[in-house]
Amino acid sequence: MVSEPRSAAANRSVEVLASKLRRRQIVGSRATALETLLVLRQVIAKARFSNLEQLVAIIRDVGRRLVDAQPKEHSVGNTVRKVLHHIREEFHAATRGVEVPKPASFSISKFVLQGQPRKQVAVQKSEAKGTLRENDPDDPDSFARGLKPVLMEAIQDVLDELETVYDNVSKNAKDHIHSDNLGYSHDYASEIILTLGMSKTVEQFLKAAAHVRNYSVIVAETAPSYNGREMAKSLSSSGISTFLVPDSSIFALMSRVNKVILGAHVILANGGMFAVSGSLMAATAARAHSTPVVVCAGQFKLTPLWNLYHEYGALDFGNPSDVLGFENGDLVDKVDVVNPYYDYVQPELIDAYITNELLKETYDDEDNEL
Amino acid sequence: MPVPIIADPPPFAGGKPQGQPAQQAMTRAERRELQEKQRAAKAALKGQPPQPKESSQGKQSQGTVTTAGQAKAKTPSTPSKKAFAGDIQGSKASTSKDLSLGLVGEDMPPKQLSHGLRIFSHFGQPKPVGHTVKGDIHPAIIRLGLLYSDFKICGANARCIAMLTAFKQVIQDYTTPSHSTISRHLMTHLSPQITHLVSARPMSVTMGNAIRELKLEISAIDIDVIEQDAKESLCLKIDNYIRDRIIIADEVIQELAGKKIKDGDVILTYAKSSVVEKVLLEAQEEGKKFSVIVIDSKPLLEGKILLRSLTSGPNPIPCTYALLPALPSLLTQVTMVLVGAHALFSNGAVYSRAGTAMIAMMAKTNSVPVVVCCETYKFSDGVMVDGFTRNELVPLSVTQKNSRSHDIVPALNLDNLNPLYDLTPPTYITAVVTEVGLIPPSSISSIPLALGKASL
Repeated sequence: MVSEPRSAAANRSVEVLASKLRRRQIVGSRATALETLLVLRQVIAKARFSNLEQLVAIIRDVGRRLVDAQPKEHSVGNTVRKVLHHIREEFHAATRGVEVPKPASFSISKFVLQGQPRKQVAVQKSEAKGTLRENDPDDPDSFARGLKPVLMEAIQDVLDELETVYDNVSKNAKDHIHSDNLGYSHDYASEIILTLGMSKTVEQFLKAAAHVRNYSVIVAETAPSYNGREMAKSLSSSGISTFLVPDSSIFALMSRVNKVILGAHVILANGGMFAVSGSLMAATAARAHSTPVVVCAGQFKLTPLWNLYHEYGALDFGNPSDVLGFENGDLVDKVDVVNPYYDYVQPELIDAYITNELLKETYDDEDNEL
Repeated sequence: MPVPIIADPPPFAGGKPQGQPAQQAMTRAERRELQEKQRAAKAALKGQPPQPKESSQGKQSQGTVTTAGQAKAKTPSTPSKKAFAGDIQGSKASTSKDLSLGLVGEDMPPKQLSHGLRIFSHFGQPKPVGHTVKGDIHPAIIRLGLLYSDFKICGANARCIAMLTAFKQVIQDYTTPSHSTISRHLMTHLSPQITHLVSARPMSVTMGNAIRELKLEISAIDIDVIEQDAKESLCLKIDNYIRDRIIIADEVIQELAGKKIKDGDVILTYAKSSVVEKVLLEAQEEGKKFSVIVIDSKPLLEGKILLRSLTSGPNPIPCTYALLPALPSLLTQVTMVLVGAHALFSNGAVYSRAGTAMIAMMAKTNSVPVVVCCETYKFSDGVMVDGFTRNELVPLSVTQKNSRSHDIVPALNLDNLNPLYDLTPPTYITAVVTEVGLIPPSSISSIPLALGKASL
């Protein structure tokens, strides 16, 4: 059977990405999702297959290798799942025509309980392709030839979605942030948002809201990366009144904060999330003050996986020299220094997720385990 | 109760000579006059860009005073007003003297309050110190002021001991004017010194309590006593205060808290507290086998100092070091959280280094006991329910010294704020270790009474 990707070039690109993931040369859910997608496109372009199972097996194999390289980057697996989903969609469309669309109402809980509705759009484009035969004895490549162009289109759609994810998440930003435009007194009355670290999604969300709302943002620096500085610079440069504070002051300032807006690394099927360390404390402090916690994340961060022991699963360590560098040489020898990457934030601490197009794009149940 | 004249924020209480209402009224009048003068000057110079900023600052300081005033009992003069008057003077001084005096961190343009900053305006603002030495300030006090403002002397105990030691010098160098007596006049001599220290950094609760005690002693001096004898006895009283309320108290706390450390414990502490440091070193001395997790955070990163002292001995304590966001990952293995305090309010709330509240909160959600080490002289009569109502900002010049990567410089729309304290609600605290025993936070208010009242 032809189950392995034949092309050495495609194989090499998988290896390159896997080692980059392993070495953390690529980090962040969106960057890894994009890279995965580009690799998958290359793999599909080069792959030889004569039926659906072969193609799925090829993609799954690539997906497994990438996921094993860095299991904490869930968006890699999500991207593979999404591509697999598209492959089946296109296949069904090409062979059996349009499926009956299921009702469109959807929620995270249904996502967990029932799987997902079939996609109803993006089907039209493949209709014209005519007959597509699996395992054609005369021309084994005819199946691939027929399916590849629509798959490329589908992957382009996913790429476009990743490109536009910020716009779509930000679309409703103004509905979540309010301000009081009573002129002179607005300084006191306007909303104060707390965020931490550097999340592109949150950044775009806040900037989108700033077009129509007048508010202040408190950014926690988020040691040891101190990414909050970058965020604060970016927000202030687009005219948002911004305060950069150390992580230690989150609790003290929380009584003046109206809303906490966080980014996510991955959103799990139980409604919890992994996020940059510091998020759990900010969310807990917010809960202590009854301040709403809103999480902004693209749909590609939603994963169908979860388990009961995420507190332990969250542990993933970064470079200790960011915490205690060698300029403290005498200390470095004597103490353990830890620098965990992520926190697991329980679903009960999060009030809402703001995401893009949850309805449209999902995965197939059978791909949960790649 | 030893009638606290200024009920709410005692840290500032000593800033005004309570026994001298006339003098106080005069200084207030002076200040008002000064503000009026400045405002008039500003009106005259409306065209210039920095001027409207200052005037808005002035206006807004008035606003803060009224809002703050509602929360307080009838205070003769609100401390924030005083602080702001000082601030305005300070900023004025800095604009004019910036070039001549190249003080560290003062090379930026005078602080302009963006409108969003107003919500933080009641925090103690970092002030340029050393520019304004007014009146008869003792050199020891000027030196101490600089050490305070540079955070070279930092921590409630250290600041209080340093202040009392400097006061002994001031008292020794003091001579009573011919027309007055020491018990009446010494305090008027000390109050500008205190004012100078407060202008360097807002007063700590410990300093306020010690000054109140000192005033009591001064007013109790018999007028028939020879001046030198009176000074000697005052210095002795100061020495006793330091010994009884701080040194011995710490020793008792060491013993009491040490009993709570068992073999195999993992103790988590935050930043650096001198008492906690002593407790841990003492327990190590006794041969207990335990390890310590030191959690640290900006603005001051004091945990490194603690780490150094815990690991420098001949038999170092096994330590783990991490920054505050790492806390939830480490908390699962912790058996006890041990932290120090800046002050303890009578509702049981602990006012301590910023970040302590989050440590206690996370420990509480993980069912880890939180033990606070705090001498009784840090107790305050007031009630505080929110860390936002009163705080202090660490000047950028100090935070920059502590960080490898460069802090961002305040720019348009962008401010870097470093609150120094936060307030841990009593619900997060399991017990407070004092020299009179381990008590739950709910019983804090009964301690002054149990101590026979006179000492707070």
